Amino acid sequence: MTARYAITAYLFLLPAFAFFALMYYGPILNILSNSFHTGPQADVFAGLDNFLRAFADPAVHNSFAVTLIFGAGTTLGAIVLGLALALLVDKPLTGRVIYRAALLVPYLTSVAIVGLLWRNILDPQLGILNRLLDTLGLPTQTWLTTQPLVTIIAVTLWMNVGYTMVLFLAGLQGIPDMYHEAATIDGANASQRFWRITLPLLAPTTVFVSVMSVISGLQAFAQAYIITGGGPAAETDLYIFHVFNVAFSSRDFGYASALSFLLLLVIIVFTVLQLRAGRRGEVSY
Amino acid sequence: MAAQPTRRQLLRWGGATGAAGLTGSLAAGCGAGAPEQPDGSGGSGDTFTVYWNAGHGYPAYEEVLTEFGEANDLAMNFQKYQWPDLRTRLLSDFASGNAPDLVEDASWAQEFAISGDALSLQPYIDADGADMGYPDDWQETTLDRVSYEGETYGIQLHLTCVLPFYNKTMFDAAGMDFPETWDDLLAAAQELTTDSVHGIALNQDHSYAWSWLLQNGVQFYDPDSHELLTPRDKAIEALQFQADLVHKHGVAPVPTPGTDYSGPQKLFSAERAAIILTGPWDLMPIDESSPDLDMGIAPALRNVEQACVQAGSSMFIPAQSPHPDLAWELIKTITSLELEQRVTEETGMLMPRKSWAESEAVQSDERLTAFADAFGYARDYSTQLRLTGKSGEISELFKTLYQDVVINNTPAEDAVATFVSAGEQVLAG
Amino acid sequence: MTPASRIACYVVLTIAALITVVPLLYMLSLSLQTEAETMSADPVLWPEALQWGNYAELFERAPFGHFIANSLIVAGGITLAHLIFDPLVGYVFAKFRFPLKNTLFLMLLMTLMVPLFVRMIPLYTMMSNIGWINTHQGLIVPFLMDAFGIFLMRQFIQPIPDDLIQAARIDGASELRIYAQVILPQVKPALAVLGLFTFVFQWNEFLWPLIATTTEEMRTIPVGLTLFNQEYFTLWHLTAAGSVLLFLPTAAIFLLTQRYFVRGITLSGIK
Repeated sequence: MTARYAITAYLFLLPAFAFFALMYYGPILNILSNSFHTGPQADVFAGLDNFLRAFADPAVHNSFAVTLIFGAGTTLGAIVLGLALALLVDKPLTGRVIYRAALLVPYLTSVAIVGLLWRNILDPQLGILNRLLDTLGLPTQTWLTTQPLVTIIAVTLWMNVGYTMVLFLAGLQGIPDMYHEAATIDGANASQRFWRITLPLLAPTTVFVSVMSVISGLQAFAQAYIITGGGPAAETDLYIFHVFNVAFSSRDFGYASALSFLLLLVIIVFTVLQLRAGRRGEVSY
Repeated sequence: MAAQPTRRQLLRWGGATGAAGLTGSLAAGCGAGAPEQPDGSGGSGDTFTVYWNAGHGYPAYEEVLTEFGEANDLAMNFQKYQWPDLRTRLLSDFASGNAPDLVEDASWAQEFAISGDALSLQPYIDADGADMGYPDDWQETTLDRVSYEGETYGIQLHLTCVLPFYNKTMFDAAGMDFPETWDDLLAAAQELTTDSVHGIALNQDHSYAWSWLLQNGVQFYDPDSHELLTPRDKAIEALQFQADLVHKHGVAPVPTPGTDYSGPQKLFSAERAAIILTGPWDLMPIDESSPDLDMGIAPALRNVEQACVQAGSSMFIPAQSPHPDLAWELIKTITSLELEQRVTEETGMLMPRKSWAESEAVQSDERLTAFADAFGYARDYSTQLRLTGKSGEISELFKTLYQDVVINNTPAEDAVATFVSAGEQVLAG
Repeated sequence: MTPASRIACYVVLTIAALITVVPLLYMLSLSLQTEAETMSADPVLWPEALQWGNYAELFERAPFGHFIANSLIVAGGITLAHLIFDPLVGYVFAKFRFPLKNTLFLMLLMTLMVPLFVRMIPLYTMMSNIGWINTHQGLIVPFLMDAFGIFLMRQFIQPIPDDLIQAARIDGASELRIYAQVILPQVKPALAVLGLFTFVFQWNEFLWPLIATTTEEMRTIPVGLTLFNQEYFTLWHLTAAGSVLLFLPTAAIFLLTQRYFVRGITLSGIK
């Protein structure tokens, strides 16, 4: 490519970056300046106080740890389950459209509704799940109290597995049949074909799913806001839920901005690492 | 932004025609920040915005607002939200220099007084208080919770409190009266607990813990010593007592952490709990789902003293309200005895006026009287804490403390120590 | 496929589909129960009598028709904008080489790493200064394109063989024409995914419509639904009915996009 193409590229990018500057970078800079201020209006200069406070705040440490576990669980789960289901509904089975639709149904519902619904289903005292288990003579569950973090990870996977499945499905359909045909002629069995052809050629999709899952997993909010309220005893105090409470219940926009910024840095690091790994794994035709 | 000086006289009804400065943008919904009219009256087709709790959009209020709009040539915008959404919306307004005209709030008047976002109502009260009965006709316990540095920033709209509801049929069958002390309560709960019935059900929400803490004489924040949860041993005892009901004596289910308050009520309605602590908001759901349940409402228990948790919303006028004088007129209309009685008749909501509590309609209603009689010892446990400006953070820590003790069965002594050290850091910060 | 492995596939898929669908059938059941049934401590699996009136009540108690219209205008408008802008920017990042490309791409992804409520207040101030609060454009413009869509398109355009583009350039096609006639037809599944997910995101968005609307008539469905909660409890029969209605358009969009999930890459033109 020559300089001419670079100029073309910049011309195409200009309107997009103008838009992002206005709607994102401006507000983000505003937040950066907020993070050096304190008070209900975030108008009292505080230097690095908010950042120092974050490093010493046990509640922040707790919610960061909770969020890392949540992000890891939801990302790995979404990739493994989503890919497995995509491979299944990519096969020429009768009724596969119905299966695809059924698996995607939870994702089409809003996360707020999903939260309310599961809160209603899982309640140990009043939920429909325990009523069913009881009727069937099975032992009842108290997951929301005993395994709250695992429970909201599971609910999130229930909701998102169809979404990653659809992404992988679109990725699978971008792989030309001739590669598989050639490998079959060469005598490769199904599992060899999967590991040597499908998976490497799916790399762009896998990178996308993994980067996006980490970004959204570390910023998960509704699960705590709606299902658990962050409880019991802050065991599901997801980081962004914590920041939201700092901003809107304690009205400490300066501290909330600083906390958001720290998370932004963490996510950037994770994203760069994944993109690098992805670039190594990319194959060209 | 500096608050606009407000006119300290009574608004003359009718004929108020200010040249509307930014009517165009008002109609577009961003009227706040517009310079207030010299006489603060507005009118002339302005939009008048009221933020209200979605659960309180009663027909009586809708009607009053419509009439008010017609009388003052205002386009009324009655915006109803859930509490958390209302607060999110309001803080966004404040941060960007907008403000509605009048707000129903959940104990925020002091906080916004400190931050300069609420208007002092003192000049209005000085002028109109005698006519409207403020403060003389309001329950004394509703005055401090809206005051800051000797001035009033909010007016109590509704008044409720948390009392024991009990299943009369179960108590009669066991030949018991409702207990008055903690010891008797524990004995009664043990007596009534069976395979299918819990003696008592505790709420997962931490505010309900304060029934017990107040009954043990505990203060959330002592302004003199600057300490949290004093006396400390009484606080530990009250928290441990609740945890023991669940874990040691097995007379209460483990509360489910979450964002829902209705768990105990549902157990009570299904006759799976003999006693719950709740307020008048649960009367309708109980009647709706179990019309045949014979229910009693008892006076609050006592340990060191008799006390219960006060609740209920108030109203305040934002400092940047485009029409503060009109907002004040509306407050007077909404808090009139006549309208209070009408809302009670329509919805069963309880009201803060003494003359409401003494009225025939209330006195002849067993349920309303049960609450009205408790107003004297109902307390807002956060009043002093809010004046520190740190109430939000401390409440979050307390929520963790309560759940740690009652759900996770962490010894109260340890959990309180953790809470106090974290809380002291916040107060010092 | 052997018959045995075919049966195994069906079994696994059926179990997975039941797990995803059954809880939502419960939502449908809730939407047809009486208020008393939804409040009962012993949850009702299926109502005694189907309460279709719950759906009518939605429209009686709130301007629900307005909510639906607003949601359609906003989510539909945003989705269209995404389908126009995202693939173009994605194409540039996938197939062009230029200085600072990786830095710019990371800056683009950065826009996804700050939650909306953190930037909400500056955005609200800006919109209120230009008088766009409580307007459809105020609900649409902040979301005209996003890094999710651009990143998605970049990943799907990348595998398209460069030879295809080179061949078109040798034939003298303009860059825009290459984009429209060579690139876009190759990524139909990705475009379908982009349209579907953008619509679902925006259709269910809550926070911005909450802040950016100031009258009931301008609310979208998710914000409008909050009117059916009381101070201390949820009116489940109405909330569930609203949720079912909320779900229907997204399901329709899914069925529309289904037909584009076909093997896309044609390798014609490569020698």
